[in-house]
Amino acid sequence: MLKALGYFVELLRGIWITTRHFVVNMWFHTLNLFGIKTKRKGAVTIQYPEQKKDLAARHRSLHRLMKREDGKPRCVACMLCVTVCPSECIVIEATEDPDPEIQKYPSTFVIDLNRCCFCGFCVEACPEDAIRMDTAKIDLAQTSHDALIFGLDKLLK
Amino acid sequence: MAKIFLDGKPVEVAEGTTVFKAAQQAGIAIPHFCYHPAFVPEGSCRLCLVEIEGSPKLELSCSTVVREGMKVSTQSPTVREARRGVLEFILAEHPLDCPICDKAGECKLQDYYQDYGLTESVFREFKEKREKKVRIGDKLILDRERCVLCTRCVRFLAEITKTHELGLFERGIHAEIGGYENEPVRNGYSGNLVDLCPVGAITDTDFRFKTRPWFLTKGESICPLCSRGCNIYIDYHPGFPRVPGSAKVYRIRPRTNDAVNGPWICDHGRYGFIDLQQKNRCQTLVWNKGERTAEWSWDKVLITIGERVKALRENGKTNRISLILTTWLTNEELFLIKKIFKDGLGVRNVFFADPAPGPEDGFLLRSERTPNRRGAREMGFDLKAPDLNALVPDTDILFIFGPHFAGISHDGAWKPALEKIPVKILVTSHLNELASTADFVLPAAFLAEKNGTLTNADGRVQKIAAIARACFDIRPESQILLDLAREIRLDDSYFGALSAPEAVHHELVKEIPFFGALP
Repeated sequence: MLKALGYFVELLRGIWITTRHFVVNMWFHTLNLFGIKTKRKGAVTIQYPEQKKDLAARHRSLHRLMKREDGKPRCVACMLCVTVCPSECIVIEATEDPDPEIQKYPSTFVIDLNRCCFCGFCVEACPEDAIRMDTAKIDLAQTSHDALIFGLDKLLK
Repeated sequence: MAKIFLDGKPVEVAEGTTVFKAAQQAGIAIPHFCYHPAFVPEGSCRLCLVEIEGSPKLELSCSTVVREGMKVSTQSPTVREARRGVLEFILAEHPLDCPICDKAGECKLQDYYQDYGLTESVFREFKEKREKKVRIGDKLILDRERCVLCTRCVRFLAEITKTHELGLFERGIHAEIGGYENEPVRNGYSGNLVDLCPVGAITDTDFRFKTRPWFLTKGESICPLCSRGCNIYIDYHPGFPRVPGSAKVYRIRPRTNDAVNGPWICDHGRYGFIDLQQKNRCQTLVWNKGERTAEWSWDKVLITIGERVKALRENGKTNRISLILTTWLTNEELFLIKKIFKDGLGVRNVFFADPAPGPEDGFLLRSERTPNRRGAREMGFDLKAPDLNALVPDTDILFIFGPHFAGISHDGAWKPALEKIPVKILVTSHLNELASTADFVLPAAFLAEKNGTLTNADGRVQKIAAIARACFDIRPESQILLDLAREIRLDDSYFGALSAPEAVHHELVKEIPFFGALP
């Protein structure tokens, strides 16, 4: 009996909260409609994905590799990102660069986004500013694991 | 004996010892680039300076001999100041490209900068531009910017190999290491220059850029490419989760053992080992019959082989089993083979197929190109080469260990001869034409993937350890042999107790005390 009463009380509380939010938000929206400036704004639902919020300037999204002026990757294959990566998702294979001024370049650079936790340590570790996470691509869902393994071609785009 | 005081601590050392060696014996590390225990002290890096009481200037510890009652200070403020000065001069010309330098992580210059430097450079001049990729040997690349001119490489080629390929040219800021008439460094020990170089100036193309040293796990082992049994470190990387087959051995380095190889190993072993470890590996268990090749489970294959052997045993015809062994096998495995086949089943046809002997070089490399011929001899095996005429008519089941039987060929006569033998079982770590002829192919572990001991040509019994993880469906021979012994119900109580190679070694020493002298 007491238990059933408890349910009933909680139900009423829930209805009260919903009603309160509706009335409060409606109140501010109505004031706004009549051009009355208030400090507090009414809550708005963003219709994602049709409508997108601006990302913060220091957000972290899909990685990209930077290029030199001549189009080669800026990466020098020092593997410091591989070293710092806590989820072991970066694999680099370095190759001798034919240019005598450049020691090595990455012949493969793979980021396994299945494992990546988007901590951004790779960006911080990079001594050449060759990797950045500022593409603003955050909708990365795929239907297969393989589609989430990004190689040089995708990362350099 | 002379009594000296190192940083106030009294130390007794033999007469004629240098201050550097005395400090080393007392456990005091003195920084150095040019000093190496195998060479005569050169005193060119000026980093091992110490303060000696009564001496007006700082002295070089690597070339100063101790005197009775000498008071040496290795860490006084003057000494530290002097070392910092020396480091600053070296770093004034050093490119500081540590992030792309293969030595970073195990570089002496990095370590000493941590210990003594940590200062901003006062030099405002541009650094000298030098060549960064000079090929000085078949596998060696010299970076002249990184070089600190310790001349260890020059002295190695002058004192150890006596081939004198490199020298120090020009003077002052223009001084550089180079070859005479650009002759390449071409001797069987050129790989040691990479280990000798205290900075990343000399790199070899085998390891260059492949990985970074801090990813590698180091394991102690024995070089299997000749019967010298050089002590080595195997640097192994366990691989990345999403890249199949990325687990591999990246390099081989000498492990100092003055009784066997000193601080050196030959190029034959250094570069040959990695090829052996990675190329042509036998990866899957196979049962061949006509056109059909089915992959079986280990249990099924061992039961089938066990049944064939048991059938012969019930008819009392176990002498119709023959063995072709290799001395790539460890002492423990040879002992198990002896126990199971020679003592247990009474097998008499035992042959050894080994890689062909090569030329000896008079230093480390020996002509026997397998690690354990001495061990097999001490075990009581007669190391005779396979005799096809004796083998074929008397054999119903042939066990072949190792891939070398095909190599000794008899001009390919082994192939039709093997066809006449009803059951052929190949236990091998490497694939070759033998695999297509054999009825069963059992993938076995290579020497870096199993535990055991090897006996070198001088009778020294040395341990090898499983360092690299076996990435394929492979098993060590000792396990295959023990499983087989269990399958054919051969003295269960004896073989049941021998689960690990260590237990086998214990049993081996009990029977043949020669193998007890494990250093």
